[in-house]
Amino acid sequence: MPWLGLIVALPLLGFALNGALGRRLGKRFVSAVGCGLPIASALIALRCFLALLETGAPISETAFTWAVIGDRAFEVSFWFDRLSAVMALVVTGVGSLIHVYSIGYMKNDGSYARYFAFLNLFLFFMLLLVLGRSMLVLFVGWEGVGLASYLLIGFWFEDPAKAKAGKKAFITNRVGDGAFLLGMFILYGALGTLDMVRINEAFLAGPVPAVSATVIGLLLFAGATGKSAQIPLYVWLPDAMAGPTPVSALIHAATMVTAGVYMVARLNGVYLQAPDAAQVIASVGAATALLAATIAVAQYDIKKVLAYSTISQLGFMFLALGVGATGFAVFHLMTHAFFKACLFLGAGSVIHALGGEQDIRKMGGLWRRIPVTFATFLIATAAIAGIPGLAGFWSKDEILLYAFGSSEGGAVLLWATGAFTALLTSFYMFRLVWLTFFGRSRMSHEVEHHVHESPISMTGVLAVLALLSIVGGFIHVPHFLEPVLPIPALTAAGEDAEGALMGISIAIALTGLALAWFFFSNGGARAEGARRALSPLHGFLANRWYVDELYELLIIRPLHWISDRVFLRIGDRLLIDGALHGLASLARRGAHAFSLVQTGNLHLYALLALLGGALLLALRWLNG
Amino acid sequence: MTGAVGTVLLWCFAGAATLGAVLMLVARHPMRVALSLVGVMLSLAGVFALQGAHAVAVFQVLIYVGAVMVFMVYVIMLIDVRDPSFTKRYSRLLVPGIIGAILFLAAFVALLVAVPVGAQSPGGAFALKPFSAAFLAEHWLEFELTSVLLLVAVVAVLALVKGNGRRHG
Amino acid sequence: MDSAQMLVALGAILFVLGLAGAVVRRNLLVVLMCLELMLNGVNVELVTFSRLHGSTAGGVLVFLVFVVAAAELAVAIPIVLLLVRHKKTLDADAFKDLKG
Repeated sequence: MPWLGLIVALPLLGFALNGALGRRLGKRFVSAVGCGLPIASALIALRCFLALLETGAPISETAFTWAVIGDRAFEVSFWFDRLSAVMALVVTGVGSLIHVYSIGYMKNDGSYARYFAFLNLFLFFMLLLVLGRSMLVLFVGWEGVGLASYLLIGFWFEDPAKAKAGKKAFITNRVGDGAFLLGMFILYGALGTLDMVRINEAFLAGPVPAVSATVIGLLLFAGATGKSAQIPLYVWLPDAMAGPTPVSALIHAATMVTAGVYMVARLNGVYLQAPDAAQVIASVGAATALLAATIAVAQYDIKKVLAYSTISQLGFMFLALGVGATGFAVFHLMTHAFFKACLFLGAGSVIHALGGEQDIRKMGGLWRRIPVTFATFLIATAAIAGIPGLAGFWSKDEILLYAFGSSEGGAVLLWATGAFTALLTSFYMFRLVWLTFFGRSRMSHEVEHHVHESPISMTGVLAVLALLSIVGGFIHVPHFLEPVLPIPALTAAGEDAEGALMGISIAIALTGLALAWFFFSNGGARAEGARRALSPLHGFLANRWYVDELYELLIIRPLHWISDRVFLRIGDRLLIDGALHGLASLARRGAHAFSLVQTGNLHLYALLALLGGALLLALRWLNG
Repeated sequence: MTGAVGTVLLWCFAGAATLGAVLMLVARHPMRVALSLVGVMLSLAGVFALQGAHAVAVFQVLIYVGAVMVFMVYVIMLIDVRDPSFTKRYSRLLVPGIIGAILFLAAFVALLVAVPVGAQSPGGAFALKPFSAAFLAEHWLEFELTSVLLLVAVVAVLALVKGNGRRHG
Repeated sequence: MDSAQMLVALGAILFVLGLAGAVVRRNLLVVLMCLELMLNGVNVELVTFSRLHGSTAGGVLVFLVFVVAAAELAVAIPIVLLLVRHKKTLDADAFKDLKG
């Protein structure tokens, strides 16, 4: 029974059914198919997981042979080991929950069927990505989730700004994908295979002489910076908030953006032989985490805060990957999926309650009006801030420990960056809670009048995710993944400081909470004062470090200029059109020249006949 | 006719034909041109006769001179004399025409040098009996086609004359 | 020069003179007569070569040339007359309506 193939195929079937028949068969059908099939996939994934626990051996399945070129065959096959199990369960589990949430959230949208079709399509590609055995299958999934992301970001495409956001996401990702492809080509050229299991075996046995693992590692990571929103290709993710909120939760928080993390984790053999690349990854991750956190502090759109928060947490994951704590990165991936999805869906609930308002300056006093949303949002915030006992605390604390003391690249600077970022995280998240839910209401009258709690299809999901944010930290994922992703040893300094570091982490979380309470309670008067005092700094952060403007100046405008001046005016209009018009005008002028023979003069025609006859005779004479 | 007399006569008739042709090109009045052409045709009839192609000679006189040239002369008679083409004989392409003619003739002559000269059977295929036999036996189709051609010509002329007659009242 | 060669040359000369006349002379009727001259030249050639090869097909062709010449003239003359009625002149250079 091809279980793995079934996990992947069911969402694809959902896409086909809803895409083709959804409009005609109504919302009930679309909801049933659109949510039922992912849930079925989740159940099958669970079954495979149990089978894995029982036998202890990974499951391998070959679906079909895609191409045979000479003596090389490219097969589509799936691989289910411990790492795939964790990823598949997170993707299908959280994915199914978000599908159910969407039933309530998208109830009044005209393109209900299209939404669920695209959502299922995304799930199909994401499962291809995490279950694929060959890098080829992974790449198909990689590109496919990019496509689904584009389709869903620009879901309300009638608004040109939203459509533009979709384009930005896709194009920025493509830049990274170019580097990814190069990495794949070099790997294939050196090893003759794209099978990740065999690649890891080759690299784990020792450095492969034919190729530089560092180069490959860097190229693949460049691809990951696009998909997982790290410096320099993160700029699409904040804009991606233009899509419906469940999309932001599923794709841009829980699953797609984690694809880069998964890829690096999966190919850990390569990175084992590339310590320089690992250093780069750790540094970029730490820098991104810090950058995004500083920006989040000054954002006023509830979704934008969460978007930058996602970028920051992804930075943490890459930091962990860079110091060899691969299993902990995956652990954080899972806990982040729980609480970030809860946060996004909660934000969606707030937006739904306020009839579309997203600016936190126009909220306030909601904790009494929408209690379930508030409670789940608070729990998830506490989780992300690292309040002890909740899921985020466990995963983040371990990452900081290994950032400090991992024998494979731990450094004080990395730890310090991570710790400061954690402080900022706690601060801006509690700021968000305060401004959104507490204080005097700053809403307009009609908005306030219509505030209502969301239906059970939405609040139920929020409750489940909040629960997972609490207990998720107790699932010992790194221990479970150890056979596949070995845990690095700690340096002596790291071992000594373990307790102190944990204490500092707790202090950081509580300090952030306290600072947020200090500045933002009582309607944020003190925050206003601080903002005015630090106005230039605040402006710089609120304008996202002007990175988008920088890219516009350095990259987009020159490209646009080249496209316009060189390719359009010279290449297309002058050369190609010119050549075609030239040919046409040549034909016309030639015909005109020939028409000059027809003077209508009888004598001329007779003369031409005479000369023609003479010519023929002469030719006959010349040729004997 | 064979022998020296025949050859002399042949050359005389040939010369006369050539002279008539040249006169055709030089004469001013179309009537003179027509009469030169008649002279050419009669000389050629003589040439054909001396060749032993009596049937052809007879046809030449009967058809060409008797029908074609008579018709031509009638038409010339009916045309008004005061026509600008009478004063200016030659078109604008006189010089190119002459040059073209010389070139053509040169090419022709160059080819002709290579013509194999062979014995000529006197009369040969043009003796009346074998000529008619061949005509009515092997080449019957061509014979019928000529009648079709003549019918077509008649219809064409009628169409021309009748059609335009109606238009011009 | 053999008489056969002379006759072939005669036919050639008549043909060329006829063609040159069609180019050179202005009067339409003269042009028609030059056409007849060309046909006569052709006839001379046909008869000469037919006698050379002893072929009866040559004779038939001569006969056909006669018929065609007659038919052609019969149709050409009315056309010329209609043209003259239209343009009031026999000058070939005046008929430029088919220009371009």
